[in-house]
Amino acid sequence: MKISYNWLNELVPTHLDIDEFCEKLTMFGLEVEEVVQLGKNLENIVIGKVVSVEKHPNADKLSLCKVDVGNSEPLSIICGAPNVVKDILVPVAMIGAKLGDFEIKKAKLRGVESFGMICSENELGVSDEHSGIMIIKQDIEPGTPFADAMGINDNIIEVDVTPNRPDLLGMIGVAREVAVMLNTEYEHPEITFEESEVKTKDEISVIIEDSEKCPRYCARMVHGITVKPSPSWMQRKLIASGLRPINNIVDVTNYVLLEYGQPLHAFDYTKIKDKTIAVRTAKDKEKMMLLDDTELKLHSDNLLITDAEHPLALAGIMGGLDSSINDNTKDVIIECAYFDPRNIRASALEYGLQTDSSYRFERGMDPNSLIEVIDRAAQLMQLTGGGEISSGVVDCYPHKIEPKVLPLRVSRANSILNAKMSADEVENYLNKFEFATKKTSEDTFEVTIPTFRPDIEREIDIIEELARCYGYNNVESYFWINRIDNKQKRTVARLAKNHLISLGFFEVNNMSFASPDDLDALNISDDDFRRKVVELANPIGEQFSTMRSTLIPDLLKNTALNLSYKFENFKLFELNRIYLKEREDTFAEPTYLTGVIVGEFYPFYWKEEQRATSFYDVKGVVESILSKIHCTKNITYKVSNQPYYEKNSKADIFLDEKKIGSCGIIKDDVLKSFEIKAPVLLFDIDLSRIIPLYNEKDIRFKEIVKYPPVLRDIAVIAPSDIEVGTIEKLIKSVGPNIIKDVQLFDVYTGKQIKQGCRSLAFNITFQSETSTLTDKYVDKLFDNIVNKLLREHQIELRQE
Amino acid sequence: MKEQIQEILEEARRSIPSCESDKDIEELRIKYLGKKSSLSDLMSKIGTVPKEERPQMGALLNKAKKEIAQLIEQKKVVLHEKEDTSRARGLDVTMPGRPLTIGAKHPLYQIWEEIEDIFINLGFEVAEGPEIESEYYNFDALNTPSWHPARNPQDTFYLKEGKLLRTQTSPMQIRVMEKFKPPIKIISTGRCYRVDKMDPSHLPVFHQVEALLVDEGVTMSDLKGALDSFVKRIFSADTLSRFRPHFFPFTEPSAEIDILCINCNGKGCKLCKNSGWLEMGGAGMVDPAVLEEVGYDSEKYTGYAFGLGIERIAMLRYGISDIRKLVTNDLRILMQFQ
Ligand SMILES: [Zn+2]
Repeated sequence: MKISYNWLNELVPTHLDIDEFCEKLTMFGLEVEEVVQLGKNLENIVIGKVVSVEKHPNADKLSLCKVDVGNSEPLSIICGAPNVVKDILVPVAMIGAKLGDFEIKKAKLRGVESFGMICSENELGVSDEHSGIMIIKQDIEPGTPFADAMGINDNIIEVDVTPNRPDLLGMIGVAREVAVMLNTEYEHPEITFEESEVKTKDEISVIIEDSEKCPRYCARMVHGITVKPSPSWMQRKLIASGLRPINNIVDVTNYVLLEYGQPLHAFDYTKIKDKTIAVRTAKDKEKMMLLDDTELKLHSDNLLITDAEHPLALAGIMGGLDSSINDNTKDVIIECAYFDPRNIRASALEYGLQTDSSYRFERGMDPNSLIEVIDRAAQLMQLTGGGEISSGVVDCYPHKIEPKVLPLRVSRANSILNAKMSADEVENYLNKFEFATKKTSEDTFEVTIPTFRPDIEREIDIIEELARCYGYNNVESYFWINRIDNKQKRTVARLAKNHLISLGFFEVNNMSFASPDDLDALNISDDDFRRKVVELANPIGEQFSTMRSTLIPDLLKNTALNLSYKFENFKLFELNRIYLKEREDTFAEPTYLTGVIVGEFYPFYWKEEQRATSFYDVKGVVESILSKIHCTKNITYKVSNQPYYEKNSKADIFLDEKKIGSCGIIKDDVLKSFEIKAPVLLFDIDLSRIIPLYNEKDIRFKEIVKYPPVLRDIAVIAPSDIEVGTIEKLIKSVGPNIIKDVQLFDVYTGKQIKQGCRSLAFNITFQSETSTLTDKYVDKLFDNIVNKLLREHQIELRQE
Repeated sequence: MKEQIQEILEEARRSIPSCESDKDIEELRIKYLGKKSSLSDLMSKIGTVPKEERPQMGALLNKAKKEIAQLIEQKKVVLHEKEDTSRARGLDVTMPGRPLTIGAKHPLYQIWEEIEDIFINLGFEVAEGPEIESEYYNFDALNTPSWHPARNPQDTFYLKEGKLLRTQTSPMQIRVMEKFKPPIKIISTGRCYRVDKMDPSHLPVFHQVEALLVDEGVTMSDLKGALDSFVKRIFSADTLSRFRPHFFPFTEPSAEIDILCINCNGKGCKLCKNSGWLEMGGAGMVDPAVLEEVGYDSEKYTGYAFGLGIERIAMLRYGISDIRKLVTNDLRILMQFQ
């Protein structure tokens, strides 16, 4: 439904700017899909009068026009439209005008110059009409800006009307709704006219043969009307609402359709045989010619409007050709009827005829507003075309459709909305909707639902209307979730566990108790934080006298046990709390993730030599856990001084310079204390420090870089005491945005390499996000790397 | 014609099984079944046969064709099998592939996760709390009378500093209610401690899940419904549960929850000690005194709580009869839970 904001303001002044109004309307349940500002791009478009039309000398389909645009000389414009003729008024886009992205310039068409363009309605964005140029039927001075002439300074609000609300398919219904929304009043059009002596019922008789398919049919007569263009105010509103002005009679039916939502039809009185209108179903195979020149072959489910002999219209869908209004029509019958929505839907579907009329009838019109609507149409026809209106309406309404009366409990509404509306408030809202109310008790009303609201069928439907008035945003939100849920910890723990399991680890579950001897067995010094143990006052035994302050001893005990069962190569982990005494009466319970790799990391495979496990195996496990839980930034590794690791095989893990764990190979004497006769790698991570940083929402898609990466290898001879991490960092620092990756791929020490040095080879990936890298540029960066390595660490390029 | 067909068929029966290669078999296929084969030739001459014999001859011809085609197919399969085994000198599909190990979560934690997920799906939040608790949260706030035996050091672990190791996850419920207004809908899960000697049915360290719901209009039906949904999801859709009157300090009315023995279906067995029912945990409507203690209006709000032992559920689910198996960390056990 297209709503002209100007028109709406005539009916109900909103006092709101367009954006504010649309926001409110949407929140009230009428969803605004689009707002089109008319007249926005109509600069340099003026009204022109075509003063002459000649054939283009070199093109059959083009015309050479002279157009008066108010200047001393008419413009020469070439036009391709078939409907251009002398003496019409047309919109002219002058040089400099913009139609969408297209700017009008002086042009030469087949050798003849053209100084502008005569536009169609479609080109101007006025309507979809594009079969020819727009012909302006009002009397307007050439040169007048088009937007002013047409009054196109309006906002057109496209509202998505849900199928249950046929009442919103007319401006008056919208105004009613807006008035409720703004708690104000709206205006009905004032309908007054004089009737002649002639009685309508003497001129025409109406017979409804099928009152189920047509419960009500009204007719009125206007005599001696002049068919001509309708006044500009009416044309403006039609155009704004997306309809094309035709002549005053057709325009009035369309105008009233827009105003009330109720479709009307006008017949030429002289073409009605025997002055009789019958509403009946078609005979099988009865034929009828529609307005749009299509012939229908009908059957007995189709409802027709006929005269004594022939079909006049396919009821509620489209008129027939024979009885249609033409320029010579003088006497008009106005039809205003209520048809069964189901029948209209079926017939419209059957013949593929979706018209403005069928669209509305199939949603259900108001049978009880027909008199007002038909009077309005008569009034406007007389206003626009003169003539005399016969007295009275022929109203065929065999069984009156009564409005529904529904009970409403205020308490019920309040309990559904968790609101505290008073009975008075509720009554006020209902009356604004034009629902009549009768209070039957403190809490209850009898509500009369007007027939223009077929959607209201039960108490709950009324409550929905009250909810909109109360405001969905005013309903209190009852908040359930996400105050204390440990989702973050749960997620990190599950990710880490699942990851370890796919690496072949088994999870263990040890009790929280420990013996103080366990710490001694790990060589843990007296000032280590793990010595701040929590002691039990009533332990169940000496070996259970404290709460464990590390998970390591239990894992080593589990290792010894399983080795005794002849398992040789296995991996275990535990994810659980440790307990620390912080101060006299405060305790900490951080969560640790600790694991061991016993024997060989990779299971024996007949096809390959068994590979010796090394420190880098456990470091790889740690790195992969950390990336699984999104903890890779600001992680560094430094040589560890934990007392239970082998000398050259241990690292501490740092997050932002804070130690969060360690990994390494367990020392022999520690293994001996735990009676373990196999190599054991261990990692021990304080998860509590990582959990708060985890954010599953930190994964954001990045557009794939369009430019190809360039790969280069670099082999260097570096002093052995310089760490690979240092060299990698240094290489990256040469082009932080271009050097995407540095990967170590070879380490070699041997005869060819000088004493105290090692040969290192790296794979460097260069890639720009903004352009393709040239070899020259990569060469330059590569040289910079070589120079920097030499300058800062005396690292030399390896000579082949 | 009948004799001719018979002759061709005999010949095919002899020659097909004796061919040695795909090439030979293809030659024979063309010879017997091809467009210019003698059978096709006979087929085209069928018009010369007396009318009444034609159907019979046609049927014979078709039968012969079918048999020959079958013989050829069979021979092809035999030839290919031979080829396969000879080709497979480098491949033994029965040899093991590269071993990629997979581990397993501990069975107790598998069940724990499953329990958490059931409640999360029912709209509960998971609250975790400290295991080292004060007497206030573990007992006082939970309406435990001072004389209650649970407070004894024979039942509860105390620290030298006076705090204790929580004996249930309920203290977390108090901590949550202190901090937030209703509605409250949480489970608290985690380790709990009781002074017990280790035996087949006791460990001093065990795990609990407790549910708490406080809101306006919460009734005992909500409690029964929540428990029913839970046992049906963790065990099976036909698991029956019942409530037995009992005493807990922090619920009123209180009940013990039983489920119909999942081993014998109520007939009586060793697992259920012939009672037909298995004890699952405790439940009840939150005692108004507990609600008042955290500052809730106990006239306006009601609530339910129930607690279940995770070890118990794991043992029932997996058929483990000795609770100590859940802390031995023997790979021969753990490997069963991949
Ligand atoms: Zn049983």
